[in-house]
Amino acid sequence: MSNVVSTAARPATSEMVRRLPEYLMIWVPLLLSAAHLISFSIWTIWISFTPSTLIPVSGWVGLRNYNAVLASRNWQIAFDNLLLFGIAFVLLSLITGLALAILLDQRIRGENVLRTIFLYPLAVSFVVTGTVWSWLLNPGIGIEKLIHDLGWSSFHFDWLVNRDMAIWTIVIAAIWQSSGFAMALFLAGLRSVDTDIIRAAQIDGAGPIRTYVRVILPTLWPITITVVVVQLQFAISAFDLVRALTNGGPGIATQLPALVVYDLMFQRSQLGRGAAAAVLMLLILLAVLLPYAAWRYVQRRQATHA
Amino acid sequence: MPITTTRRRLLAGSAAALALPAFARAQGAVKPRLTAISQWSAGSDGAAITALGKKFEEKGGVWQHSPVPGFTTEMMNKLRAQIIAGDPPACSQLKGPEIAAWSKIAPTVDLDAVVAAAGYEKVVAPDLAKLHKPGGKWIALPLQIYSTNMLFLSKRAMDKAKADKPPVTWADFNDLAEKMKAAGVTFPVANGGTRADDGQKFEASLAGISPTAYRAAAMNLDKKALEGPEMKAAFVQMRKITNWMDPNVGAQPYAINLKRFVDGDMGMLIMGGWAQGVLKNAGFKLDDFVIAPGPSDNGNPVFLLNADAFIFWQRKEPDLQAGQALMAQLVMDPAIQTMYSQITGSIPVRTDVDLSGEGWSDGQRRTAAALKDAVANNQAVLSLAHNMAQENGLTAAMIDVFTEYAKNKTIKPEEAVTRLAEAVEGSR
Repeated sequence: MSNVVSTAARPATSEMVRRLPEYLMIWVPLLLSAAHLISFSIWTIWISFTPSTLIPVSGWVGLRNYNAVLASRNWQIAFDNLLLFGIAFVLLSLITGLALAILLDQRIRGENVLRTIFLYPLAVSFVVTGTVWSWLLNPGIGIEKLIHDLGWSSFHFDWLVNRDMAIWTIVIAAIWQSSGFAMALFLAGLRSVDTDIIRAAQIDGAGPIRTYVRVILPTLWPITITVVVVQLQFAISAFDLVRALTNGGPGIATQLPALVVYDLMFQRSQLGRGAAAAVLMLLILLAVLLPYAAWRYVQRRQATHA
Repeated sequence: MPITTTRRRLLAGSAAALALPAFARAQGAVKPRLTAISQWSAGSDGAAITALGKKFEEKGGVWQHSPVPGFTTEMMNKLRAQIIAGDPPACSQLKGPEIAAWSKIAPTVDLDAVVAAAGYEKVVAPDLAKLHKPGGKWIALPLQIYSTNMLFLSKRAMDKAKADKPPVTWADFNDLAEKMKAAGVTFPVANGGTRADDGQKFEASLAGISPTAYRAAAMNLDKKALEGPEMKAAFVQMRKITNWMDPNVGAQPYAINLKRFVDGDMGMLIMGGWAQGVLKNAGFKLDDFVIAPGPSDNGNPVFLLNADAFIFWQRKEPDLQAGQALMAQLVMDPAIQTMYSQITGSIPVRTDVDLSGEGWSDGQRRTAAALKDAVANNQAVLSLAHNMAQENGLTAAMIDVFTEYAKNKTIKPEEAVTRLAEAVEGSR
């Protein structure tokens, strides 16, 4: 009797011991980072309801901080800019990334070199990107001056100091930085399309364009959604790039929410309002991530049912 | 040497410490030590505070200065972190209304005894003294004074415009700018694109038009004054100034344009007196430019006060307390103030320092004279753009309006007045 019990228990225990490193590896960091993230988020939410200014203090002011942030010009400009920047940046980086991937997919020579070149900007920090582009785009020393020196003196490219166009300089720099990322994902997707399907399309008489549009691209849409979500969360939290490129200027024309948060917390010493702006940013982020999570959930449900 | 403290000795020590007045105790046998933080890390500012540290060491002290380069706010972030951690520096840079605001979050040192012993109060401008004794007690000491609305004139641009006198009123200023423009000076106003830079253009305009309106609107935030006719006039004058500036500066500081200014490609620079130190440090000669008080429509100089100061944070360690006492004495010392101002280009806080000697420039003498005149005519006011008039939050909200107005020429002066009033209302 006892024999039976021990033989039954032994594999279970040894299994536990054997898998212990795995559990430790996964759960300890996961719980630590989750606790970290959640505790600081809760703390920030709490601060956003307190009258904190120079240092955190307790107290309750209700929605006063939120109302003040939402009523400020800085936040309104930042929110409009975020909409414009988010949409333009995501769409344009998708298009450039996909175009680059399709061009690279033509079994061309030197693909590895080109792929590295296109991916390389991703390895550069946003501060560096911002600084370099701020020189390139400065009308006094950059591209405009170069073209003038080449003889085309009526050439005009002053977006960086033009308050209506300055937000587009951020779009340009951000696309330069991250369309390589979209390209890499799309390229992987293109390469994983079943060659049999492509052959079948060819046998049916589809030309290369038609093959792409009707056969290959529709298989890429899960990757497209991943790219959109990753790029959007970058767009929402964009800080270092803007700080180095325009620092919210000219004037306050290129404010973005993350800049407003930093400005309120660390420049204006209004911790409560800064926290409120940070919570608003979190809400914007959730507006993107929750539908994505729901979509993933539905997908998985359908997969298991099928 | 290992330090061993028995309980009895500690008790005896604290009893003795309690029995003595704070600063007599501090000057006892311990070697004075000072932990200090400031933003002054490089250039003439860095040189000046290093020289101050040398003097501190000559007096037998241990000087532990940790500079935090960048804007004042970055220094404040370090200060905030240290205060929250319960380990404030013995002494830190802080100025204007921030002294009162920060003194509420951590205990400060009562300096009344040392200030009285030095007879210091008699030689400090009263408006300035008030900022450093928020609860009626001295807790901070001003170190040096700048005017933020000094007018620097490029000699070469003046020659081009055939002008030989600095402008007195805004009308003179506008005339001279037109003349310079006509004579081929590309940008009659030399500028940077930072927020403070734009703020200075406004405060110089308003204070020059009416120091009374400035006091009411910028310092006291009087609602009626904020919507008054002088405000609109100031925005009109500021628009004229911005039209003469180089729009391509982006967010860069004024200092990048100093060469063009000296060369006569740019004409006039409205800047704090510190620009003299920067110009000198950059290798330009004092006769490349003229320094005059900023334009004032009533003819008497208006002085927009900016004063750097040290605040002293309470510490229990006897060596730090001794260090604070020594530092306070040094900062009030006329010889030290002379040394400091001669390096940075500021003027001393003490009104009894003689600036006729060698080592002082004409610009500094003129600044000191302007301060004396302005105090006599009640025209010495606190700078808004450099955080002397209001706390950071309010200042930043107001500068938002100025910087947008400087860069967006479709905003009309009357709109700017409304926006400014709203910004003040919104951050109160």
